[in-house]
Amino acid sequence: MEKMSRVTTALGGSVLTGRTMHCHLDAPANAISVCRDAAQVVVAGRSIFKVYAIEEEQFVEKLNLRVGRKPSLNLSCADVVWHQMDENLLATAATNGVVVTWNLGRPSRNKQDQLFTEHKRTVNKVSFHPTEAHMLLSGSQDGFMKCFDLRRKDSVSTFSGQSESVRDVQFSVRDYFTFASTFENGNVQLWDIRRPDRCEKMFTAHNGPVFCCDWHPEDRGWLATGGRDKMVKVWDVTTPRAREVHCVQTIASVARVKWRPECRHHLATCSMMVDHNIYVWDVRRPFVPAAMFEEHRDVTTGIAWRHPHDPSFLLSGSKDSTLCQHLFRDASQPVERANPEGLCYGLFGDLAFAAKESLVTTELGRKPYAGDRRHPIFFKRKLDPAEPFAGLASSALSIFETETSGSGISWFVDTAQRYALAGRPLAELCDHNAKVARELGRNQVAQTWTMLRIIYCSPGLVPSTNLNHSVGRGSSCGLQLMSSFNLKEMAPGLGNETWLDRSKGDTRSDTVLLDSSATLITNEDNEETEGSDVPADYLLGDVEGDEEELYLLDPEHTHTDEPEYVLPQEAFPLRHEIVDTPPGPEHLQDKADSPHVSGNEADTASLAPVDSFSLISVSHALYDNRLPPDFFSTLVRDMLHFYAEQGDVQMAVSVLIVLGERVRKDIDEQAQEHWYTSYIDLLQRFRLWNVSNQVVKLSTSRAISCLNQASTSLHVNCSHCKRPMSGRGWVCGRCHRCASMCAVCHHVVKGLFVWCQGCSHGGHLQHIMKWLEGSSHCPAGCGHLCEYS
Amino acid sequence: MFVARSIAADHKDLIHDVSFDFHGRRMATCSSDQSVKVWDKSENGDWHCTASWKTHSGSVWRVTWAHPEFGQVLASCSFDRTAAVWEEIVGESNDKLRGQSHWVKRTTLVDSRTSVTDVKFAPKHMGLMLATCSADGIVRIYEAPDVMNLSQWSLQHEISCKLSCSCISWNPSSSRAHSPMIAVGSDDSSPNAMAKVQIFEYNENTRKYVKAETLMTVTDPVHDIAFAPNLGRSFHILAVATKDVRIFTLKPVRKELTSSGGPTKFDIHIVAQFDNHNSQVWRVSWNITGTVLASSGDDGCVRLWKANYMDNWKCTGILKGNGSPVNGNSQPGNSNPSLGSNIPNLQNSLNGSSISRKHS
Repeated sequence: MEKMSRVTTALGGSVLTGRTMHCHLDAPANAISVCRDAAQVVVAGRSIFKVYAIEEEQFVEKLNLRVGRKPSLNLSCADVVWHQMDENLLATAATNGVVVTWNLGRPSRNKQDQLFTEHKRTVNKVSFHPTEAHMLLSGSQDGFMKCFDLRRKDSVSTFSGQSESVRDVQFSVRDYFTFASTFENGNVQLWDIRRPDRCEKMFTAHNGPVFCCDWHPEDRGWLATGGRDKMVKVWDVTTPRAREVHCVQTIASVARVKWRPECRHHLATCSMMVDHNIYVWDVRRPFVPAAMFEEHRDVTTGIAWRHPHDPSFLLSGSKDSTLCQHLFRDASQPVERANPEGLCYGLFGDLAFAAKESLVTTELGRKPYAGDRRHPIFFKRKLDPAEPFAGLASSALSIFETETSGSGISWFVDTAQRYALAGRPLAELCDHNAKVARELGRNQVAQTWTMLRIIYCSPGLVPSTNLNHSVGRGSSCGLQLMSSFNLKEMAPGLGNETWLDRSKGDTRSDTVLLDSSATLITNEDNEETEGSDVPADYLLGDVEGDEEELYLLDPEHTHTDEPEYVLPQEAFPLRHEIVDTPPGPEHLQDKADSPHVSGNEADTASLAPVDSFSLISVSHALYDNRLPPDFFSTLVRDMLHFYAEQGDVQMAVSVLIVLGERVRKDIDEQAQEHWYTSYIDLLQRFRLWNVSNQVVKLSTSRAISCLNQASTSLHVNCSHCKRPMSGRGWVCGRCHRCASMCAVCHHVVKGLFVWCQGCSHGGHLQHIMKWLEGSSHCPAGCGHLCEYS
Repeated sequence: MFVARSIAADHKDLIHDVSFDFHGRRMATCSSDQSVKVWDKSENGDWHCTASWKTHSGSVWRVTWAHPEFGQVLASCSFDRTAAVWEEIVGESNDKLRGQSHWVKRTTLVDSRTSVTDVKFAPKHMGLMLATCSADGIVRIYEAPDVMNLSQWSLQHEISCKLSCSCISWNPSSSRAHSPMIAVGSDDSSPNAMAKVQIFEYNENTRKYVKAETLMTVTDPVHDIAFAPNLGRSFHILAVATKDVRIFTLKPVRKELTSSGGPTKFDIHIVAQFDNHNSQVWRVSWNITGTVLASSGDDGCVRLWKANYMDNWKCTGILKGNGSPVNGNSQPGNSNPSLGSNIPNLQNSLNGSSISRKHS
């Protein structure tokens, strides 16, 4: 101890300066060691053994210790160590089992001093006693450790680990007589230098070889060990049983470990393979390195802190044949670059957010985090109260949930489930869907449906509520409605689809063409929105004659048309359901029902005839002659695109399905397919399998409708003879009995049939479910313990 | 509107990523403590940790779910230079009785020589594909040719980005008109001002990914990048987290106008840029319809951004990470006068409504 402190004082005076630098060696290094003056470093390897002076700006080669003509295996160094008390004394461990000492004070070129050839295999490590001038320790692959007195020719004592090869030996810095040795079988032994017969203490430190160890420079009892299991462990060996104090997880096997001077909890490590970097860890934050040096291009083989009391200079040698000096402040700090937050938007509008606690903690008395923990005491123990440590980080995880009422994305699910897409006349579908949308507070969508209905169906069928809804806003025809809703919907707070009127421009370009005498009907509505900058002529002016007139026209037509339209349609709902489903026939059928239209049909058959006739009945005289037949399809197409661009693909697809052939050919096939796949994907996210299936089924796109036809084969076994059914219906070809009998009710199952893959028995889904509530055995009585997933 | 529910995650170091699964009922978290945890939502809305296991030997940067069609599959990537694919094992075991599920490693992708910073599964229609990016600036795209065999992945593409990569995002569009596309962000902090966001597109003819665009205006380190769910749009929306939040739209220029065979040209517009976080922005995430963007920054807040019909993006909410209300909602430089009106709502709901629960 006294000697030690003297050394310290002697060295304490010098001030180290330098920068991050490296120099090229002639050959890969195996080990390095620093002279006690912190001005020289020795590099040893299979074919290199040199002393370099560390100058301010560079390394300067001072001495080449590899002399002599013929290369001797004695010079193939596995390890090198510089005596910490004698600037002239070096020791090397050779791969052939020889321990060599070198005296730099020798006048001759050959500085070799002594040669100990006692080990039979490679010597992995040599270590000088920190305060005793003549004591040298070696550890070898042959499993023995030997202590040499440099004043004698032979070893003083031999220690047998009684286990596998010795990977490292280190004299304790503080205990004069103690040294530690590590073994390939994962053990660490503590020896008293005076008792070679047996070790004082032994414990298993790692899973697999322990490659290295280092005594803490200040803390008497702390020993750091590193192993192939990628871990660095810090042991308190003062207690009768060595106790693991810290455990650091590195990313590769640990080849070297060195405590950082003046930093009680820091240690540097390098790896034996794969990883070329040097890491400095704070053992209290065992997962993230505090600093990282990335200079080397190959495995780092030796690391040494330049001065035992200076924490900023680290020297390293590498297989890439370079020697480096690293400045701690130049190190990259993974902690700083690590992302402190995680954020994810959930399906239902909820947000998961994880953030470093220090970022989210408000100054005003945030509860200590121990309160959140499951085992507060356990975690408190790990914190060292004497040393407040800022580096230890934890994250707070919280989920922001949208309150179930209203907001969020529940409208999507509701809409998907409640929309009617087929099976009823178009007018009813539109009305129904408009009603659904309105009930969910989606007025824009509701209006769109109403308008579609007006466009494509006779207005006579518009229920008065719908009509009022639209007419009350001063619009009298579908076109104006469309123009107005685009704007009106934008009132902030309307909720979920107040996005952007992206297609506004498109719509306008269409409408401007038709503009004649603009009547600004919905302007008042617009003013509350931010869209008041929309030019006045935006609205369609082609509605000649004023709104009043049109409004009056409506009831008139309603009266006249009612008996013709409403009655037949409501009288045969079932018939429609059947005929409507395929889009093609539905179309024809629809018109066949309405004699009023059927006359028109012949000349407009190819051009989606329905496009115009709805309004024709409103203002036949106004439109019939002026508007091209596909006038509305352009608008409807734009409307669909508008919804799609807004992110409301649901609307686009729903309208597409409901209108079927009427709009289908106006829209790019690829775009349609894109909408379908997007919508189906979305439905599947919400587990709306039935809706998704319906959409697939109703889709007009070939690529989509074939989705339902993939992997539809069912394989079943006969419930009597347990042979696989050969696809010839429900009668087993072998035993000629009906295979699909319900084991519970003994009736033939039509519909959902569930069967156990173990015993081939099954039956109605409900029956089996009910049965399994009471018993886990097969209902057929075969004794099988059925499993259904 | 929002209720904060805090969860005792019990990770022993920073959590770097949170990820919901396809159906939003499961959540995965990953942390520097080298573990991944899987959380399942119970009927009453509580989140329970159903699995926690050590995944890597370094910080786990990202965790992501595969489409459920491929099973319950997770991918993670780590500082330890690997990415891994995990699958949940179904079957009766003691784990299940304790409410715990069992995850097994199906593969380790070891091609990177440096930290793997992001991992993302490709959109489902492309099959079972996975992209990783690493600190050495290489994006790797792997494919599992047999979707039933998750232990076989072949490296299909290596794209060199020249810059240390920090994040990737697949273009989720399922349209046949849109070629597979991947955006890569770099957090390279070296002083040379290079563009930090690159977009690569798959070229059918050469069967290679080629650079389609570079967002020249983004020169600061990028921490996160996210394409919005496409949902039938003809254009793409890309959010970038750098020193501020930026939103770009990418409109494909019509194919007929560009020379066929070459990469698609895009009409790129920056539609929003917000520095309200007043600091680095770490994460961006889109809602399911691609209409609301959430961003989180060094200020510990989550901000929600939404466009109005004029394509004006505005802040519609601020959420404080620990569920406490935010003070001083309008920030200097905020061009949005209506911001203030939206926030009181939020604050009221956040006040005192924070629920703290432990998982069992």
